[in-house]
Amino acid sequence: MSEFDALRTQLRDAAAVFADGPGALEGILLGIVDDVDRALREPLEIFPVCHHSPASAVAMARRLREKQPKVVYLELCEDMAPLLTELRNCRLPVAVQAFATEADGFPAEWAPLSVVAPITEASAEYQAIAYALDTPGVEIVLVDRSSDHVFQWEHRDTLDEVPDPDAPPAEEEAALHGDAIGVEIGDLRPRFAELEEHLLRHGKVRHWSEWWHQFVELPLADRGHDTYRQIMFLIGSLFRRLAPGDPRHVGVDENRERYMWTRMREHLAATGTDPVDCLYVCGAFHAASRVAEFGVDGADGFAISPRSATRWQRGLVPSSHAAIEAQFGLAAGSVSIAATEWAKNVRRTRVQPFRLAGQVGETKRKKAVTLPEPAPEITLSDHLTGFLQQPTALDPLDEAELLGWSVEVVRAARRNRYLASTADAIAVFETAILLAGMRDRVKPTPYDFQDAAVTCIEKDTVPGRRDVRRIVEIMMGGDRIGQVGYDALPPLARDVHDRLMPLNLTLQQRGVQRALLDIASQPELEGCSDLLWMLRYLMPHGATRPIMGERRLGERPIQESWDLALGTHQRVLIELGYEGVSIEQVLEQRLRRAAYGPRATATTVLATVEDAILYLHSHRLASELGTRALDVLATERSADGAPEVLRRLRRLLAYYRTSEPVLPTWIESFVKTGYAHYCTMLPMAFTDEDARVDQVAAMLGFLFGMEGLALSLGCDRTQMELALAQSHPKEPAKVALMWAAQVQLGHLSRAELRTRCDELLANPLVVSAYPRYLSGFVHALEPAPGLADFVVEAVSNAFARLPDPVLLPWLPTLITTLRAGGAELAPLLIREAGRIFPGRLAALDEWVPPWLAEEQATVAPRVTGGRGVPLLAAHPGTCDAVARLLGCTGTWEAAEPGPHGAAVVGEYPDTAVAPAALLAHEDPAPVR
Amino acid sequence: MSDLLRTPAELKYAEELDWLESVDDGPKPFAWRLSPKMVRRFVLGAERADGLAREISQKWFGDRSFIERAIVTLASDRGLLLIGDPGTGKSWLAELLAAAISRNSTLVVQGTAGTTEDQIKYSWNVAMVIAKGQSRESMIPSPIMTAMEQGSIGRFEELTRSTSDVQDALISILSEKYISVPELNSDNIVFAKPGFSVIATANSRDRGVNDLSSALKRRFNFVRIPVVTNKKSEAAIVRFRTEELLRRHQIELDVQPTLLDVLLRSFADLRASAASAGSDDEKLESALSTAEQIGVLEDAILHSNFFGDRALSARTLASSFVGSLARREPEDLAILNKYLHGVVEPRSKDEGGDWPGFLEGGRDAIATLS
Repeated sequence: MSEFDALRTQLRDAAAVFADGPGALEGILLGIVDDVDRALREPLEIFPVCHHSPASAVAMARRLREKQPKVVYLELCEDMAPLLTELRNCRLPVAVQAFATEADGFPAEWAPLSVVAPITEASAEYQAIAYALDTPGVEIVLVDRSSDHVFQWEHRDTLDEVPDPDAPPAEEEAALHGDAIGVEIGDLRPRFAELEEHLLRHGKVRHWSEWWHQFVELPLADRGHDTYRQIMFLIGSLFRRLAPGDPRHVGVDENRERYMWTRMREHLAATGTDPVDCLYVCGAFHAASRVAEFGVDGADGFAISPRSATRWQRGLVPSSHAAIEAQFGLAAGSVSIAATEWAKNVRRTRVQPFRLAGQVGETKRKKAVTLPEPAPEITLSDHLTGFLQQPTALDPLDEAELLGWSVEVVRAARRNRYLASTADAIAVFETAILLAGMRDRVKPTPYDFQDAAVTCIEKDTVPGRRDVRRIVEIMMGGDRIGQVGYDALPPLARDVHDRLMPLNLTLQQRGVQRALLDIASQPELEGCSDLLWMLRYLMPHGATRPIMGERRLGERPIQESWDLALGTHQRVLIELGYEGVSIEQVLEQRLRRAAYGPRATATTVLATVEDAILYLHSHRLASELGTRALDVLATERSADGAPEVLRRLRRLLAYYRTSEPVLPTWIESFVKTGYAHYCTMLPMAFTDEDARVDQVAAMLGFLFGMEGLALSLGCDRTQMELALAQSHPKEPAKVALMWAAQVQLGHLSRAELRTRCDELLANPLVVSAYPRYLSGFVHALEPAPGLADFVVEAVSNAFARLPDPVLLPWLPTLITTLRAGGAELAPLLIREAGRIFPGRLAALDEWVPPWLAEEQATVAPRVTGGRGVPLLAAHPGTCDAVARLLGCTGTWEAAEPGPHGAAVVGEYPDTAVAPAALLAHEDPAPVR
Repeated sequence: MSDLLRTPAELKYAEELDWLESVDDGPKPFAWRLSPKMVRRFVLGAERADGLAREISQKWFGDRSFIERAIVTLASDRGLLLIGDPGTGKSWLAELLAAAISRNSTLVVQGTAGTTEDQIKYSWNVAMVIAKGQSRESMIPSPIMTAMEQGSIGRFEELTRSTSDVQDALISILSEKYISVPELNSDNIVFAKPGFSVIATANSRDRGVNDLSSALKRRFNFVRIPVVTNKKSEAAIVRFRTEELLRRHQIELDVQPTLLDVLLRSFADLRASAASAGSDDEKLESALSTAEQIGVLEDAILHSNFFGDRALSARTLASSFVGSLARREPEDLAILNKYLHGVVEPRSKDEGGDWPGFLEGGRDAIATLS
């Protein structure tokens, strides 16, 4: 005989009427009652909750005071238990997080693995946690599957869900959880779309949160514990029986239920606790479970699979209402409305909520509340029938509140540049009441009010940053962003805050703060500067942003200013904490990972070398990474990275030469290997169509630029000469590059080069290719900067002699090439041009280009003797001193025609005789 | 069969409206014929489960909150301005609301560049004025004035097409709710009876042509009607409207659901490509609205009925599709050609069904046009 027999009979009759006879409907309806009955009879009290439900939270607070259980079992990943006590150091909402950088036992592409469970103050679970942690002798046990099992049981396709392309881009606050998988307590929502659609349609509401608020939250708010429990069981069972949903999803749910009950029985057996003294807090959905393991007396035999080898780190990360809404698909603003509703319920029902002692954000510390004696247990009775038969209790219209909202929204709209006036406040008030009436409500819900405000205030355009919908959301509570307190931070994050103490900033706070570092006058700030540069490297753009100051090899900071937003990016900082205990360690790991990654190129590895010196000042790491760069370079087979390798190596060489007594071994080996490597690659690069001219130029630049060092280390120049001899470029730009290299090596004289260019310009068949030769010459400035004057000459010739149909189309190409490819070469070219060309317009008329002038100069007779001598004779002191030093004893004589200056050679003939002998000169007699 | 080419909503659904009025026991604002809840049911349809003894067909497809906001606005002091892209069903919604509330949806002023203030207020029958002088008798009231006198809903189509000074004539009508006739010495004010309101529609693509003054803006509540992108409701709209058109032409012809799917998907594809287009030349001139889909389908049906074998084929649909959407030559033709070759051709190989016929018909139509 059950208390629910009367209800059963009634439902059976109803099923017979609606479904024309007993059948599936009867099965469902009676099954629901069975579920409720079963859950109620369970000796271990089950407390069904729904997430972000103020009614659940109020009922929980009330029940905890009445029952005062000794053990609270909570549906939350069991491995997160140690974190709960840290909640008191945080400002809610925050999320407990389990994080693994590398996945061991899961596909590598899943990494990093992250699970978050956000906790808000208006939730039943927070009440349970606060009660258990602050009441002596009470234990809280998390019983749900571990974070590892979340991934073990999760299906890959659900992890890879394609985001809705129509969805608006997530706001910054909504992205607080990163791409973590969310778990939450009390997920309660229809599992198939049609049921939800039906409920929404008949409830005359727009989305699920609103339905819940209207049809469960409000009627349940003031109900007693028994009614609350029975109704929640009923809803859980209803969704479960009507809509099983995706079988895989159901499978995971049932496994979780088996897991939880197995854990609870284990705990009960281990501690010998009486089930009557316990409370099991879980989602209403799980309370209606029909697995065999359900209940204290349920079947044993569920084998919990071992965790994978993945190393999990755990911590707290800040969360926000918007982030929770985005993560769990709730309507925008619903969590905020729940928070407001909670505050209102607490005031109205006078329930004393539990709050963790020392919770950040608490107004004042109340003295420890002593709990009253537990209330006697109530006998089981049917509260369902009465509740279901009653008409929905309607919240009476609170006119003052609605009026307040209407006035407030108009004010807020005006602040957001809407042309809203008192007339609009009246219209909003009226429309909200009319809308509520149309939707069968006495009192407009916040959602009705939002609709009314949009109708009356929103016009064709949004004048400011926020539209009316958003304004109402903010007004109804707005987003609240949590913060993890200092004590709950991982060691790395604490260390960062400690080390930034000298800046005297409250970096825990959200928002951007400006830090000024005058390192010249306060040398102790240099440590902060080092740390900030490392954070800039590791954290997303915006967390630490240098406004003034830069870090380059070999430079010391003097003054810097920074925009810091560490509070805003707290999650990233906390996640860095999972990777290591100090920021240096994390940075070193990252650099190593970059250098040893499968995609590492010589360029990227050299970049890590540079970073290791810049940020870590670590020559040990730099040398290790440098050796790695050497290995990578030797395996590269393309010219792609050559320009960057050259640039970076030059920088590093310059740094080592100025700051170290000797060059490190790795860089010497690098130059040696690089010289041989590029010599080998050069002939191929010259003919390879894929190799760009700037890449070949960079190779040549390496060969010529590092030549001195390479030869001193035992390289052979012949290797390069041979490589050039083997190169047979066809492309005009590369041909020009080749010519320039030959000039640099002395295989080609400038006169010959000039002749070749003249021939090109004179030949109408190839003149159209001349610009491409020029491009080669411009790039040749990299390996042969001495050719700058020649390049200026070549470009000038192009302007002078190229026919317009060739010249004009080429001009834009020249400009874009110079700008893109030759950004570093252009200044050299411009400086040279500035030297050669006259500076003033007037001078231009008489100006003769030097290359033409040279030709004239060779024709003009040389002016012999006499120049400058009168000056020397007038001021003989300098010459006498030099002559004394050289040991010349000659005297001043009047100028005579004939060879001059040979007196010293006559005095000391050995210098001239020795080379003459070497050259086997016929007449070794010195010239006098 | 009515002898009207197109019956207005209040006549077409007269029987339904009568029935609703007979069972309506809800409070009715002013002189409304139906209560707001019944108006909503009339527009959005109702099932048995909604507590009515019969089913009411759905006549407008879209978010319920739009309708509720629109009805509530009409019950309040302000006018209703439906704003949205062309072809989103603004005028149809206005007509339905007017029919449900005041059983008269024909008090319409069409806004054009040539609309004058007379057409909003009143004008004079010149012959009568000469014969009898200026009197109420010789006055020709505008549809809006008639609506005021009757206490019913007046409609103003394409409000933003008419010039600003004409629009502003509405300001006093909407706030004072009367029109004074200074030409008359007595009886020179026409007061609006309770129940009078104005439903205006405006095309959001016309923004900037004749912007509403802020004084007028604040006398209207704006309800923005979005383009339907939900495939399910779009299919329902197309089916509903096409059936209605077929009934009007007395054509008995089945539209295969697969063909409807071809049409919906091709429009969805073209919308997606228009959304990602960089310049106007890369997208079709057409707004690709639901109304245009209906137009394409209607055209194809009529063609197959009168010139074809009385069955709609994918070929005919394709030629109507190309014919309706190719407005500019060569830009639109190039886009359609690209679409046929880039999307339809691979799809007809992969999926078969109606796509090969659609491809063939499309190609023929493009060949004929270019």
